[in-house]
Amino acid sequence: MRGGTTIETVRRPRAGLLGALPALLGLLLAPAARAQDVVHRWAPNPPASSYGERFDHLFALITMLIGVSFAIVLVLLVVPVIRDRARPGHKASFDHGSSLHDKRFTAIVSVVVFVVLDAWVLWVTMKDLREGYWNIPRPDVPDVLRVELLAQQWSWNFRTPGSDGQFGTADDIVTLNELTVPQDRPVVINESSKDVIHSLYVPDMRVKRDANPGSINELWFQPVKSGDFQILCAELCGYAHYQMQGKLHVLPQEQYDAWQTEASRIALAAWDENDAEARWAWEFKE
Amino acid sequence: MSGDHIHPRPTSFLRRYVFSTDHKVIAKQFMWMGFVWLFVGGVMAMMIRWQLAHPGVPVPLVGKLFYPRSSGAVPPDGYNTLFTMHGTIMIFLGLTPLMIGAFGNFCIPLMIGARDMIFPTLNMLSFWTLVPGALVGLFSLFVPLGAAEGGWTAYPTLSSTIGTPGTGETMWAISVFLIGASSIMGGINYITTTVRLRAPGMTWGRLPLTVWGLFFTSILNVLFLPVIGSAMILMVLDRAFGTSFFVPATIAHGGGGDPILYQHLFWIFGHPEVYILILPAWGFVGDLLSFFARKPAFGYKVTVGAMAAVTILSAVVYGHHMFTTGMTAMLGESFMLLTMIISVPGEILFFNWLHTLWRGNLRLTSSMLFAMGVIFVFGLGGLTGIYLATISTDIYLHDTYFVVGHFHLTMAASALFGTFAACYFWFPKMYGKVLSERLGKLHFWTTIIPLTIVFCTMFVSGYGGMPRRYYDHTGNPYTAELQWLNDITTVAAFVLGAAQLLFAWNVIKTVAGKRTAAQNPWEVGTLEWTVPSPPPHHNFDSIPLVVTGPHEFSNPAIRDGKDWIYQTEPLAS
Repeated sequence: MRGGTTIETVRRPRAGLLGALPALLGLLLAPAARAQDVVHRWAPNPPASSYGERFDHLFALITMLIGVSFAIVLVLLVVPVIRDRARPGHKASFDHGSSLHDKRFTAIVSVVVFVVLDAWVLWVTMKDLREGYWNIPRPDVPDVLRVELLAQQWSWNFRTPGSDGQFGTADDIVTLNELTVPQDRPVVINESSKDVIHSLYVPDMRVKRDANPGSINELWFQPVKSGDFQILCAELCGYAHYQMQGKLHVLPQEQYDAWQTEASRIALAAWDENDAEARWAWEFKE
Repeated sequence: MSGDHIHPRPTSFLRRYVFSTDHKVIAKQFMWMGFVWLFVGGVMAMMIRWQLAHPGVPVPLVGKLFYPRSSGAVPPDGYNTLFTMHGTIMIFLGLTPLMIGAFGNFCIPLMIGARDMIFPTLNMLSFWTLVPGALVGLFSLFVPLGAAEGGWTAYPTLSSTIGTPGTGETMWAISVFLIGASSIMGGINYITTTVRLRAPGMTWGRLPLTVWGLFFTSILNVLFLPVIGSAMILMVLDRAFGTSFFVPATIAHGGGGDPILYQHLFWIFGHPEVYILILPAWGFVGDLLSFFARKPAFGYKVTVGAMAAVTILSAVVYGHHMFTTGMTAMLGESFMLLTMIISVPGEILFFNWLHTLWRGNLRLTSSMLFAMGVIFVFGLGGLTGIYLATISTDIYLHDTYFVVGHFHLTMAASALFGTFAACYFWFPKMYGKVLSERLGKLHFWTTIIPLTIVFCTMFVSGYGGMPRRYYDHTGNPYTAELQWLNDITTVAAFVLGAAQLLFAWNVIKTVAGKRTAAQNPWEVGTLEWTVPSPPPHHNFDSIPLVVTGPHEFSNPAIRDGKDWIYQTEPLAS
């Protein structure tokens, strides 16, 4: 349902000073009223990046582990409430839990919990980080698409080099709020900000990284599906934070090549020697 | 100690009720201040929820009053102010005064057998530093160019003049600084009182867990509030005097500062702050479960050790708030490992609490229900922390509603439940009046059910990818698909908000009513119950001699058919 939904069709209840009660009733019925207009989703869309699956798997693993843990807590909470409630003639057992046996038992339980819950998760995430998220393609990887991103209140400035492969030249493809990338090739983004901190968030790629003013941050992903994906800002950046959006277009390689040729041509034709604003590029940080 | 340490109760109204040095009066001052600000912060939460369910629709009842220029609808900048001040107020002016100001003040001297705090004047000053702090925060809402809008975390450069030109943000920083100074004064007092003024026989091993919790909290207060204080000074210098500690050179008017430096300073304080709010609640829970299960607190020493371990670890894990900021891989992984280690003492606390209940004789009073409620909500909040401590899942979940759900359950709901448990338990001692148990139980069920729905729905929307601090989630197709979850959260939040009126009614009705409380209505042995309700000005006619621990419930050595014994009574051998 990406891209196609419009929200204008949603009817919202009106409310004034005296309209509070009907408004509250409307509030209760709102989810039902919206059912016809908007797609309901409770989970992320399927991952569209090469390491996206890793998030989904680890999330599921943690959910299972903490689900079991919380179930144990609930049982141990509910059983005494039912069985050991105060009543005439009923006595509590007397136990300080301070014997060596108790301490040993506590120690064993903590080791088991740490190994099962924490160590397992730690091991998986370290593997995911090294093989996925933090495995940023180095300069010698051949077909990397390099992107510079300069965030500002409240939009995204993207820059990809033209056919010369250099940033800051006349054929750079500079776009506002739209980033077009080829499918199945690693995309490395250098990001910074003009004013306040922003954060590039592409939920479908399972990636997020802050764009800080004064320094350059690095992130990467490799799209495995073509299509249009939502770009959001995740770091509070002022009153229009919620409107700071963008679109990521992933095209199959041949379509991308055609797009890039055309975009470079337009960029060259529109190049203005005197437009200092347009020359914000920096030397790409590998 | 002899009688000449007893000072007579002051007679002038001003010295008795306003600038009092009596820890019990100061406790009540903190308590009412906390209640008032909880209400203010709560109303703000309701307005936030209204806006999220009905973006741009005028807020019923109060909208026209606050937002006349938009005919009652919350404007985007007003929305940012709402969540900024909601967080700041709830943490610094709601929960801190209640848990630490009110119950720290009331419980510590009475539970350790002291006549007052060791520095009564400093104690008074602590409250009267908080008051201007609160007032500056309040007035910051009504100044030219706008109130604070940078979130309670106030990251530069959004909180620098480039992002928020208004005087409000500067006043916000001054307000937080003053509130921090108040907490530091309280902390020094609590630590010194606990170390120096324990009654004879009140060994460290006989301290109630409540005092332990407040003691550890005070240590964190004294160590880490100065860090936020210095960050606030630098921020005020940046904003008002043209320095650029946090403003990098790339920004107009900037010069060589670093916005990330602030994030380090903020979270060096900010993470311990979470434990500042939760440690007193853990202390209350440790005691109350034992008191109402009529069983000794299981593994007392291990519990204290676990709380100490959390206190120490809380200082070295703050980096997990900054996984997406851009730290080196090794630093990130170190913070992740340290964060995971906190789950070990956390799990030991749960183990001991649940073991305390096991085969007890449970009296399910309102106080007990809320104490058990802490196990439930902190269980949910603590376990979901694992997703956020794990870097690769945090990358996706960071700054989404998942985080909002998580920290509300841990530091807000757990601290609030601990506060409610403490209110129902110590109210008879404070006022000589018992809160209605019937209303209390109703309050518990009408709180825990909607509260669970509110924050668990936030987990779902965060998992769905809904960023936090958005004025309107219907504005883009991706988050619009999650808007139905916002509707559910808002309905549950309104029920939760309304349920708190039950508590307000209970408190007001009880305080206005007659004194009926017995000296020891809960049949508990700690020292505050050995004196009348409310206690006399000097607490103890003669300083008690402590001979037993605080949790000797159902000890077979206790005679006369009782299942409890005062800490001043010896166990028959």
